[in-house]
Amino acid sequence: MPVSTDNKVRKGRRAVIVAGNRTPFTKAFAELVKLDAVDLGVAATQGLLDRTELPHAELDSVVWGGVILPSGAPNVGREIVLDLGLPAGVEAMTCTRACATGLQSVLLAAAAIERGEADVVIAGGGDSTSNAEIKVGQRLVHAMAPMALGKKMGAKDYLQVLSQLMPISEILPRKPEIAERTTGEVMGEACERMAVRNEISREAQDCFAVASHHKAAAAIEAGRFDTEISPVTTREGEVVSSDTIVRATTSTEKLAKLRPVFAKEGTLTAGNSSALTDGAAAVLLMSYDKARALGYTPLAAVRSWGFVGVDPADQLLIGPALSMPLALDRAGMSLADVDLVDLHEAFAAQVLCVLKALASDAFARERLGREAAVGQVDPERLNVHGGSLALGHPFAATGARMVTTMAHELSRSGKETALLGICAAGGLGASAVLEAIA
Amino acid sequence: MSDALVQLGKNKLARRIIGGAGLPIPLPQELARGEGPWEARPLADRPVIMGGQGALTQVVARTLARAGADLVLAAPELEAEATDPAEAWSRPLSVQGGGGHAGEDGDEDTEDTGGLSQRPQALVYDATAVADVAGLRGLYDFFHPRVRELARCGRVVVLSRPAALATSPAEAAAREAVSGFVRSVAKELGRKGSTATWIEVEDGAEDAVEPVLRWLLGPRSAFVTGQPFRVGSGALRRKLGEVPFTRPLEGKVALVTGAAQGIGAAIVARLAEEGAKVVGVDRPEESARLGPVMAAAGGVPVLTDLTSEEAPGAVAEALGRLGGVDIVVHNAGVTRDKTLGRMDEGRWDLTLAVNLQALLRLNEALIPELLHDGGRIVQLASIAGIAGNVGQTNYACSKAGVIGLTRALAADLGRRGITVNAVAPGFIETRLTAAIPVSTREPARRLSSLGQGGLPVDVAELITFLASPGAQGLTGGVHRVCGQHLTGA
Repeated sequence: MPVSTDNKVRKGRRAVIVAGNRTPFTKAFAELVKLDAVDLGVAATQGLLDRTELPHAELDSVVWGGVILPSGAPNVGREIVLDLGLPAGVEAMTCTRACATGLQSVLLAAAAIERGEADVVIAGGGDSTSNAEIKVGQRLVHAMAPMALGKKMGAKDYLQVLSQLMPISEILPRKPEIAERTTGEVMGEACERMAVRNEISREAQDCFAVASHHKAAAAIEAGRFDTEISPVTTREGEVVSSDTIVRATTSTEKLAKLRPVFAKEGTLTAGNSSALTDGAAAVLLMSYDKARALGYTPLAAVRSWGFVGVDPADQLLIGPALSMPLALDRAGMSLADVDLVDLHEAFAAQVLCVLKALASDAFARERLGREAAVGQVDPERLNVHGGSLALGHPFAATGARMVTTMAHELSRSGKETALLGICAAGGLGASAVLEAIA
Repeated sequence: MSDALVQLGKNKLARRIIGGAGLPIPLPQELARGEGPWEARPLADRPVIMGGQGALTQVVARTLARAGADLVLAAPELEAEATDPAEAWSRPLSVQGGGGHAGEDGDEDTEDTGGLSQRPQALVYDATAVADVAGLRGLYDFFHPRVRELARCGRVVVLSRPAALATSPAEAAAREAVSGFVRSVAKELGRKGSTATWIEVEDGAEDAVEPVLRWLLGPRSAFVTGQPFRVGSGALRRKLGEVPFTRPLEGKVALVTGAAQGIGAAIVARLAEEGAKVVGVDRPEESARLGPVMAAAGGVPVLTDLTSEEAPGAVAEALGRLGGVDIVVHNAGVTRDKTLGRMDEGRWDLTLAVNLQALLRLNEALIPELLHDGGRIVQLASIAGIAGNVGQTNYACSKAGVIGLTRALAADLGRRGITVNAVAPGFIETRLTAAIPVSTREPARRLSSLGQGGLPVDVAELITFLASPGAQGLTGGVHRVCGQHLTGA
């Protein structure tokens, strides 16, 4: 994979993160159940516009992302523009890259800005797991299509259609399940195998999960997310103003009582796995010059990124162990240079597997072709305000949430760089390096 | 083509009745074969037990880990060297105690797996350090308690050093002894569809072992058993580099003669599936058959009679248009059987012309310029060429000649990194063997350790492997695809 640091962009043209905003994250089929992906995107984007008071005429485009896209309006980005009454000239797209979708849309926006295609872009993503569409089998579709599409039919034809619909089990609506298309394996099952192969104990997973909850709870308590979350009003008129999944009072004792959910003798539980979540997140990106001209203070800039793919049948979620060194190489940095590391927490076990691989000399030699390990991630620098285990994981929103939190963190703390890592379905790994910019 | 006894053997009830009644009917195990192109991890999540302390512990561990196997060490002493590959590929090591895992009834369908979650897919023993008779005891100690645990269609592979390169008579004896051991293991395991082979590793050829070991342990070597693979430094003067384990033939041009049907058509299909551009040659009369075979493979048909004057030129021209050739498979061959006293000279002349003279002429036309350095030549021999056969003086004569040709070419072309190997099929289920009368065919089928005939694809799999970059260490060999046939093995 090409590793080039020879892609310097003039400072004024660099893509900078100006602000970010998201909806509160709630469990699927809970507070936000009646808001679909478009509604959630509208809410996150509206909050971002309110927060930044961005003159609408300045906005060039919206790059949105979704994993469970509504089949009636898959270009959610454009629906958001139209629902918000933004100028019709604000063009929009919607991308999808499983759990790395939110990061992907931010990076598409950054690339467009740095190529000079746009000056001001809103990028983000969101998913309403509560509104996943129930699918019927292709067999039913193929059988019914002639009727639905108005072909003239006689009694015999109807009988023929009926005969195609047996056995009944094949035409029943299918339970929506987030299984790998190629392996048929649910992500938790894949992660369960990874935990065994990397010898990650139940205790270590629970311990990591508890820390995530405690850090997130402390951040919420301290008002750390106040500049990143805006309240959402439900259809019933209720106002949801903060994340509802995080548990300040959880403990390893409590988590130890939970039963494994993906394998009989397994180690993954509801407590150390991220929950199905509803929510959306949006990020405002501009060229450096434009941000300055409009009077905004940039929070951070995008320094590098990298995507990788691994065989989903092997270790589905190990991707970040390869994409993080790639992004670091492209940034011309080593792990030790990085001040903050933010890893998406699909499962505690997956994070621990990735950390183990990063710290392994053998892994580095065999898989990365380098002499020594990428490095040990300093726990003090890792997921400083918790992660998806505590906050929840609306698939396409997570990357944008991480970018927002890290950009704010760099800006507040005066630190220099943050490394992001996300694993995604299909065996994908996604990483980016953000850096402070004055 | 379907083997009734293999089919019958798949029926548990039938197995029990025939076994219980002690009927003298063999029920061969249906062989597990790979499908489609090479898989990235042929041993995915299957336990493999490794034992023996020699020079290749790390090579074996790396091979197994990269092939997706769960590593089981027969002795804790192996841990130090196996740790790194295991860690890099997230294959945690488990260590067996002092052996002795098989229950007394570890046979047949019982579920005793010696503490593993499933029966081991393979047993790999590193005997490279065996230097005397006492050292051979390690083979017994490792295999005796474990051999009955092996899964059906499992694999036994022993790694050893060539006896000819031993430094003392005792060492030579111990090294050669391995061959008798493995051949016998192959005969014992055959009825369960399992194979046993050994790899003779020359000093300095250690880096070339992984691809060979991976292939032997995987499902592509189903009909290859009871024989050695010598990994030498002959053709290794060029650096092996990173060997591709999927689509190994991408960007390669291959020539296959006798491509229209049977084994030839299977070779064309497999080479193409692994990414090669294939030129297939057959006689003009085979036009209707060759066309579809080559079309399916996205290859180029060339219709010419290889015994004709103009054949080498026609083939060279087709290859020239593709910028040369990387892989040459001499597959075309004929049989014209008659016992010697009844054989007319036409039978003799044709057989020798097609099976031997045509190879020499075609090689002459291709080797100097068209065959790229680092290329591959694979020539089809036959177990008849090794062991001889009644009614086949002409055929066996030509095929033994092919073996001689193979050795000579291998020695000549090693400096160009070109490997030359002979492949000797045993009883393979083809149109030709289907035409043999039942009374002859049935015994012939059963005369191998695996108790059944092979399929054309079994031959094609071995040739595909020999044609791949990973087979750089194998040259000048005669490799049988015969299920350890009673003759020639």
